[in-house]
Amino acid sequence: MNTVVCLKQVPDTETLIKINAEGTGIVTEGVKWVMSPYDEFAVEEALRQKEKAGAGSVTLVSLGPDRVIEAIRTALAMGADTAVHVNDPAFAAKADPYATATVLAAAIKDATYDAIFCGKQAMDDDAGQVASILGELLGLPVVTMVTKLEVSADKKTATVTREVEGGQAIIDVPLPAVLTAQKGLNEPRYASLPGIMKAKKKPVTVKTAADLGVSVEPMTIIKSMTLPPARQAGKKIEGDDSDAKAVALAKALHEEAKLI
Amino acid sequence: MHGSGITREIFWNVKGEGFPVVEPLTYILALTAILFLVRGLIKAGLLDRIKMMMLATGSDVSRFDNIVERLKYALIDVFGHKKILREPYQGIAHLFIFWGFIVLFAGAGLDFLQVDIIEPIFHKHFMQGGLYLGYSIITDLAGILVLIGVIMMLLRRYRNMPKWLDNKPEDMIILWLILAIVITGFLVEGLRMQATELQPGDPMHKYAWASFGGLIFALPFTAMSVGALKATHLFVWWVHLFIVLGFFVYIAYSKLLHIFMTPINIFMRNTTANPAPIKAMPPSMFENAETFGIHKLEEYSWKDLFDTEACMRCGRCVAVCPAFNTDKPLLPRDVIQNLRTHLEAKSKFAIDKDGKARILPDEEYTGPALIGGAIEKDTIWSCTTCMACVEACPAYISQFPKLIDLRRYLAMMESDFPEEVQVVFKGMENNSNPWSIGAHSRADWAKELNVPLMSQKGSAEYLFYVGCAGAFDDLNKKVAVALAKIFNAAGLDYAILGTEEGCCGDSAKKIGNEYVFQTLATTNIGVFDGYNVKKIITMCPHGYNTIKYDYKELGGNYEVYHYTEILDELIKSGKLTLKTPIEGLGTMAYHDSCYLGRYNKVYDQPRNILGALNSGTLVEMASNHEKSFCCGAGGGRMWMEENLGTRINQKRTKEAIDAGVKTICTACPFCYTMLTDGIKELEKGESMQAVDIAQLVAKAAGLE
Ligand code: SF4
Ligand code: SF4
Repeated sequence: MNTVVCLKQVPDTETLIKINAEGTGIVTEGVKWVMSPYDEFAVEEALRQKEKAGAGSVTLVSLGPDRVIEAIRTALAMGADTAVHVNDPAFAAKADPYATATVLAAAIKDATYDAIFCGKQAMDDDAGQVASILGELLGLPVVTMVTKLEVSADKKTATVTREVEGGQAIIDVPLPAVLTAQKGLNEPRYASLPGIMKAKKKPVTVKTAADLGVSVEPMTIIKSMTLPPARQAGKKIEGDDSDAKAVALAKALHEEAKLI
Repeated sequence: MHGSGITREIFWNVKGEGFPVVEPLTYILALTAILFLVRGLIKAGLLDRIKMMMLATGSDVSRFDNIVERLKYALIDVFGHKKILREPYQGIAHLFIFWGFIVLFAGAGLDFLQVDIIEPIFHKHFMQGGLYLGYSIITDLAGILVLIGVIMMLLRRYRNMPKWLDNKPEDMIILWLILAIVITGFLVEGLRMQATELQPGDPMHKYAWASFGGLIFALPFTAMSVGALKATHLFVWWVHLFIVLGFFVYIAYSKLLHIFMTPINIFMRNTTANPAPIKAMPPSMFENAETFGIHKLEEYSWKDLFDTEACMRCGRCVAVCPAFNTDKPLLPRDVIQNLRTHLEAKSKFAIDKDGKARILPDEEYTGPALIGGAIEKDTIWSCTTCMACVEACPAYISQFPKLIDLRRYLAMMESDFPEEVQVVFKGMENNSNPWSIGAHSRADWAKELNVPLMSQKGSAEYLFYVGCAGAFDDLNKKVAVALAKIFNAAGLDYAILGTEEGCCGDSAKKIGNEYVFQTLATTNIGVFDGYNVKKIITMCPHGYNTIKYDYKELGGNYEVYHYTEILDELIKSGKLTLKTPIEGLGTMAYHDSCYLGRYNKVYDQPRNILGALNSGTLVEMASNHEKSFCCGAGGGRMWMEENLGTRINQKRTKEAIDAGVKTICTACPFCYTMLTDGIKELEKGESMQAVDIAQLVAKAAGLE
């Protein structure tokens, strides 16, 4: 089974996020970058499908600056075979979801694949659009929030379980298709040391805008970005005994928090 | 009779007119026994086992440096029973048998010297007079000691058998053989005496007391005629001889081989500073090697395999193992024994008809696997690396490091580890701490505390290496705060690294992820050396041990102190005065951290500090010092679920309860956490508390 996995490098969820001077993005210096966790599920699923089929290849596609190679190497260490790294400063300021999908579509267009896997959304901007736009651009069906995937023996169709509010839906979809990975789809593996060593030698093709023959303009522009307000310090309810404390609590909830 | 007349005839009654060839026959029999022993050793596979050892490719520490010192140590340990006597009952029983046999063996040697060398060549009889009497007293005493020793052992094995002993037929056979040897020996003596010395008018009559053992064994025979005595004597003499020879041959087939192998192993003991070294993995290995850790026998070192020869299944390692004591499937003795069985089984594959041994490619070997066959995965992951086994082993065997080798294979080659561990590795990789908390918040605990930062101070006498627990864990941040206050008050020239500090990597190393460990370690070494750090104070015994021993292998050389060593010194020198009494400590006990105690012999300093508090009463829990019982968090177990058996921390907490302890004092963040949890889990929060020594010192110094 041949698959393509789109992956994005995002700040580690624990890293310290600062808004840049213009207020339109984050300060990228000093940030610890990792592969977006939903993309890990996507990589893992691609690997499992390949292992199950007993043949095929997993190709990674990622868009971003030089540092993105680390996320690519991580996925290669997990077992992916090759990677395309679209790296062009021309894209840097323009990569909104539509632009990103356009670039990825151009990079994937000529590949042979039975499925394209993406994370259900990137852990940083949470837009969750790229996979759907990509499907549209490539003329493929899209199934989002996949938690289980069964591919038919002839690789022409797949039975997909996806999460819906309060339950699950089972969908038959013709392949190739774009599938986005939800938590629960699998447990991503921890790259083995031989995997890490091998990943250093696996081929990564770097492509520029010119190579792909695309130019993009963003359809959306971030006007401003702010951090959530700092958490207020808690308030200690004082009182001589539990009755007094209960009265004080009720008063605080009513007058200060205006909850009751 | 010769000279003074105080002597006895060697081979009395046995070598008679009727049977003059007894002497040569005895020696022929003895020689035959030696041949049988050698044949037995070969038949029992010793040569094959040696061949397998020679195949082994794993690296090892030096075993033959400082030969004189090694020899001295081995002689003292073997003849003085230094380690064996740590368990008084078994120790004394073994000491009696050991020395008893040596004396009896020497006695037989003297007899031989007398009859076959001195007499025929020099025509002198030296075994007489005072010498003979002394010989007689000492050999009888030796016989009685062996008798007492063997009875003690029989009682222990078949009356009060501890649950960690495993009785096998050989144990029974050996003890009964020894018993039979002494009893028949004394019978021979008693019968002879009854027929000679004890007959009225015999010139030796008045010296019969010197053979007090024989005297007792002569009692049943007082009514026998001399003729009957002689006949019985002759019979028992031959029985005795054959049992002795049989015992000798049995060495080859049983754990008796430890008579030779254990002393050799003691000679080859680990003499490096690190008391439980794990195989070195030079960083270059990560570029060149194809496989990491161990998944087949031959990848162990020859010494790892030799260890299996020296183990006599005494079970001391089992008795102290926290995993075994909480019903987990780990018995360090069985790790060694199973390795031995595996070695024997594998030698059948690896050695061909011509006796040539070779390393089998994985595909050609169809026997049981090392991991999952000889040693179960649950066994491998149950170890807390507490080192109690290594410390307890009288044969100086290195048990648990052999499990780390297997963990390395599982972790690095197969990514096969308890699933909870994956986020721990990721946390270490991405945020340099196992809690996966943002690395930028590493110094948040020190805010508003006036803790000097290395990056601002430039240099300091001591680097205070806080470690992940002190930096990220809420409970242990309090300890870091207490230490900073104490250092400030004592005017110590120190600084912390703040966000430049990284995880020490101990958990990664002990879980078997040497790759992540070395990444973390080399980063830290780079930072330390950037500030030209010479002396380091750690808050955590795990960081202490790792920086002290493991960083050295990667080129980091520092003088490392645990904070208890520093505080003890500050108190002693008067730089820190503890005047404020602390209320409510009650009965307190110090819980020895494995990595502080057994690994680094820091036993006294924490106790000194507690003594200097002048509050509470200090007692010891049942397991303390070298035998302290692990909290359950070492070896990366801190991060794993404890699904098998009962909980180690609760077992330790119960020990504290049994000792009537109100305050458990710790000097290790892991222990602090585990015992705090233990108290909570056992619902003793009302009557007990766990507290770190640093917090007590801060309180007593009025720094709260
Ligand atoms: S190190 Fe501790 S837990 Fe591990 S085998 Fe030895 S005694 Fe048991
Ligand atoms: S390994 Fe050591 S302590 Fe354990 S049973 Fe063998 S000899 Fe005894």
